Amino acid sequence: MFYISAASSISHQPTFKNAGFSAFIGPLTESSALVSPDYKGFIEAGLLRRMSKILRMSVACSKDCIEQAGIEQPNAIVVGTGLGCLQDTEKFLNNSITIEGLLPPTAFIQSTHNTMAGQISLSIGNHGYNMTHTQNTLSFEHALQDAMLLLNEGEKHILVGAADEYIEILTEISGQLNIRPETLLASGASFFVLSKEKTTASLAVVKDCVTTGLVQDIPEKIASFLSDNGLKASDLDLILYSGASNGLNHDDVFLKTLPASLGKCVDYLQLSGIYPTASAFALHYAADLMNQNKSLKNILIYNSLIQRNLGLTLVQSIEA
Amino acid sequence: MDNLKEELKKQIIEQLNLEDITPADIQDDSLLFNDAGLGLDSIDALELIVLLEKYHGIQVTNPEEGKEAFKSISTMADYILKRKA
Amino acid sequence: MGVRITGIGIVSAIGLSVEENLLALTEGRSGIAPAVFFQEASRNLLVGEVKVSDNDLKTQLGTGAANISRTSLLGLKAAREAWGSNVHTPALRTGIISATSVGGMDRSEVFYKDYLAQNNPDFSLLKTHDSGSTTERIAAVMGISGYINTLSTACSSGANAIMLGARLLIHGKLDRVLVGGSDALTKFTIDGFRSLMIYDDQWCRPFDESRSGLNLGEGAAFLLLENDKSIAFSGNKTLCYVSGWANAADAYHQTASSPEGKGATLAIENAIHRSEVTAQGISYVNAHGTGTKNNDLSESVALKNVFGENIPAFSSTKAFTGHTLAAAGAIEAVFSVLSIQHNLIYPNLNFRKAITETGLEPVTSLQTDKPVDAVLSNSFGFGGNNSSLVFTKK
Repeated sequence: MFYISAASSISHQPTFKNAGFSAFIGPLTESSALVSPDYKGFIEAGLLRRMSKILRMSVACSKDCIEQAGIEQPNAIVVGTGLGCLQDTEKFLNNSITIEGLLPPTAFIQSTHNTMAGQISLSIGNHGYNMTHTQNTLSFEHALQDAMLLLNEGEKHILVGAADEYIEILTEISGQLNIRPETLLASGASFFVLSKEKTTASLAVVKDCVTTGLVQDIPEKIASFLSDNGLKASDLDLILYSGASNGLNHDDVFLKTLPASLGKCVDYLQLSGIYPTASAFALHYAADLMNQNKSLKNILIYNSLIQRNLGLTLVQSIEA
Repeated sequence: MDNLKEELKKQIIEQLNLEDITPADIQDDSLLFNDAGLGLDSIDALELIVLLEKYHGIQVTNPEEGKEAFKSISTMADYILKRKA
Repeated sequence: MGVRITGIGIVSAIGLSVEENLLALTEGRSGIAPAVFFQEASRNLLVGEVKVSDNDLKTQLGTGAANISRTSLLGLKAAREAWGSNVHTPALRTGIISATSVGGMDRSEVFYKDYLAQNNPDFSLLKTHDSGSTTERIAAVMGISGYINTLSTACSSGANAIMLGARLLIHGKLDRVLVGGSDALTKFTIDGFRSLMIYDDQWCRPFDESRSGLNLGEGAAFLLLENDKSIAFSGNKTLCYVSGWANAADAYHQTASSPEGKGATLAIENAIHRSEVTAQGISYVNAHGTGTKNNDLSESVALKNVFGENIPAFSSTKAFTGHTLAAAGAIEAVFSVLSIQHNLIYPNLNFRKAITETGLEPVTSLQTDKPVDAVLSNSFGFGGNNSSLVFTKK
């Protein structure tokens, strides 16, 4: 049992500092934009001036989480990101190709994948374990698993989250490569404090999380995941899934695997937009839903945003 | 000289993305790398080296040399005039 | 309790196999030289280049002419060697964890140059951009599915992959796991370190008073870690153990290490504590030692913090291989295994005069006369990401 003692997201929805958001958000429209808070309230001006979108989102969510959980310091900081700091990567790549003379170093420094985790540790003065997982669409799940290992090793509170940022060239690239042109490409960050002990702040429980790279038999994987957790498909109150992908019909997989779950499926990508770590948004959404609606006991997050990679996360209500 | 100092202030604000600062907020002699001044750090020092090349055509190959020159707006202006002389 | 290491594989500037790397280390032969294969490097730029072209790698590895990044090719070569003649079985859960700092950036650069010039850019080159795909590509060729993961914590990534693999075995999540890292030379990283003014135009001089920066290198290394169940199936001989590991954040500055070496000290102390070896029991320290002013001073201070006046024999092997970024922790882990297997302590090339502030002198000639029972390997990265590993004979 791993308790979510805090959750914070910045996304294309009004999620930030807005508990209960799950009750009133709907599918994103094409004109939707990132809903950003005033970052000055969370990040020192000296650090803020250099930060790209992904860094601002990550640090603000992290600070919000720590405040919500009422802890001084987490024992570790674990971050997942599919594509890392794209804005600074593209900026430095552009400079490196187009500028003849000296290159400004800031974009290079801020381009490494672990800049989020590093900047979080810097901004809260944390000296604990600091890790960054980057396995495209399973980056968040791997970070979550690492956090669960740490709690099993005796740690108490882990700050774990994920972030990815949209940059303009992604629209052109996804069009050229025929990657899911039908759903909005987005930015988003979701962070959590995952704790060993239950407290009054606990929102939900992460019961289990399993990843399968280069997966062959999805229905079989879902079946064994459920049985390992002592559940039948009919025990699931809700399935948050990652929509249709690359022309393959996911509903077929659902029908084969989860006959009892028809009508209880929500495509979370319609709410979050598409980015590699959108399953972190789904976890926050699940926890928020459970906090509003006590009848929800078991929620499965089914992430196959890239068909060859499967992430399964089981979220349970505190009482379940 | 005063024009050069004003120019430098504008260039620094742009190069270092000092969002809420205007040229009027920067005193000619306040220490750029001191928290009481602009609170700049070693990354900013490298950005200032880029600034000198980009706007003033001056190359600084040894970062240590930059340290002395970048103490304040006044020392930077002096350094630029000396190098150009 | 340590975790068994039963296979190693490596490709670096000093060789395309474990055997070739070992020979160069014992002969004190550096692989750093002006670039031959990497076209984007400016004339005479010193790099630790792997002496083989992409096309030759593809032929050797039998990958065909497919769109595959150099990072994946190097990783695949090392992973194959570490895997050796092991076979797949449904009875064992096999995973792979790789580390890379920039993934398929070598291909993305080709795309982006054409893109900016509006010169009919090939968008499919970007399919290898993301770091995760680098590892998936290796896994696919190796026939591994299931736990496939990539860590990216800049220059400490490779060490972190080994640490995570060991933890997953101890927690019973996997039975065996290939752990390592891979990075190819790119214009992006070379220009990046040049923009920080820490790329030395001369040979890098780790721990020397006159040091003025690093030389970048490229390469890959993998280690095979196995639990008892896996050993019962494979019958593999144990080369040595990874017994201690720790990661700590310096939380001082985005790029610079703290003058008091806080994060590095924590990582070293915690790794040694976990290994159950005493500080005096460490026979050799394979230092991070990049050759930058800041790292080598901060690391020296950390060594003094932990070991006091009794600092073990130490050296940096970066003057052999160049700084291979995310691969460095894995490459130096293989060097640590070889150190234990053959009782070797490697020379720190290009050293003349100790750093004034600390006065520490690394080993400067090959030592073969003392038993090496435990090796500490340090890997420190941007964002204050500090990792240490302890390898032991028993």
